[in-house]
Amino acid sequence: MSSNRYVYGVVEKADFEFDADAVAGADRVYTVDYRSLSAVVSDIDTTDPERTDEDSKAHDEVLRQVLEHDDVGAVVPMQFGMAFKDNRTLKSVLRSAMRAFRKALREVDGHVELGVKLVADEDADYSRDSIREDVGERLSALAESETEDDLFSDRLVLNRSYLVAMDDREAFDDVVADVREEYDDLTVQYTGPWAPYNFVDIHIGAQR
Amino acid sequence: MILVDDLLFRPLVSIADVLHSLAVDEMYDVEGVQDELKETHLLYEIGELSHEEYERKKATLEERLEIAEDAHERLRSGKVEVKR
Repeated sequence: MSSNRYVYGVVEKADFEFDADAVAGADRVYTVDYRSLSAVVSDIDTTDPERTDEDSKAHDEVLRQVLEHDDVGAVVPMQFGMAFKDNRTLKSVLRSAMRAFRKALREVDGHVELGVKLVADEDADYSRDSIREDVGERLSALAESETEDDLFSDRLVLNRSYLVAMDDREAFDDVVADVREEYDDLTVQYTGPWAPYNFVDIHIGAQR
Repeated sequence: MILVDDLLFRPLVSIADVLHSLAVDEMYDVEGVQDELKETHLLYEIGELSHEEYERKKATLEERLEIAEDAHERLRSGKVEVKR
């Protein structure tokens, strides 16, 4: 068995394990504790995993499963690719970033990240500005925070991530459903709930 | 933007060098290719591209991205020869 640990995210101290299609073919996800924190990990053969579409998806899916776990109120997600050579190295990272993790966990407690992309159909006749204003306002009203648009395609009308309190989740779902119904010329891509990648900012050094 | 003043204070940078840099930026637009990659992925996700089309386009774009990054790397390293 490999001794390297691939880290998906950090939660308040919790003890769980589950089967999953995890990164790099791993099939078991479990927790490693350091004081009041737990890292959610799986075993991996390398400390420098290659980022494939499949493994990026696996990373996100594991975090989503963690969020759904009863014992977990919040998760601070790691970006793809954080792997450490053993438990000792991992724990020393948790120790050195303890304060930042605790602060981030408090900030995102009870919230999830939701992604909304509005994609104009080919040859659609629409006013980008008015849609952005209308939909943007309605979604912002229910969100704690949101990201700037990343309009990497001419066909993207809106592309934002929202930090939404779990209590407002249903109302947010309803607005998205309304938008889907009202705008025939758009495809709405609604994703999540995700761990709040875009709303926590912890950078771990290269010491793995 | 390149200012004329800039050129005057950097006599070692010739007009040919500057034009060459601009041409490299234009021809090897790293950000543009990255955006195209993201667009391709999005169109696949919303069902406008089949898996085969997606894989094919992605492979082509990844190749272009590698070439573009390599061109910029070489330009930065100063090992690019400017032909006059």
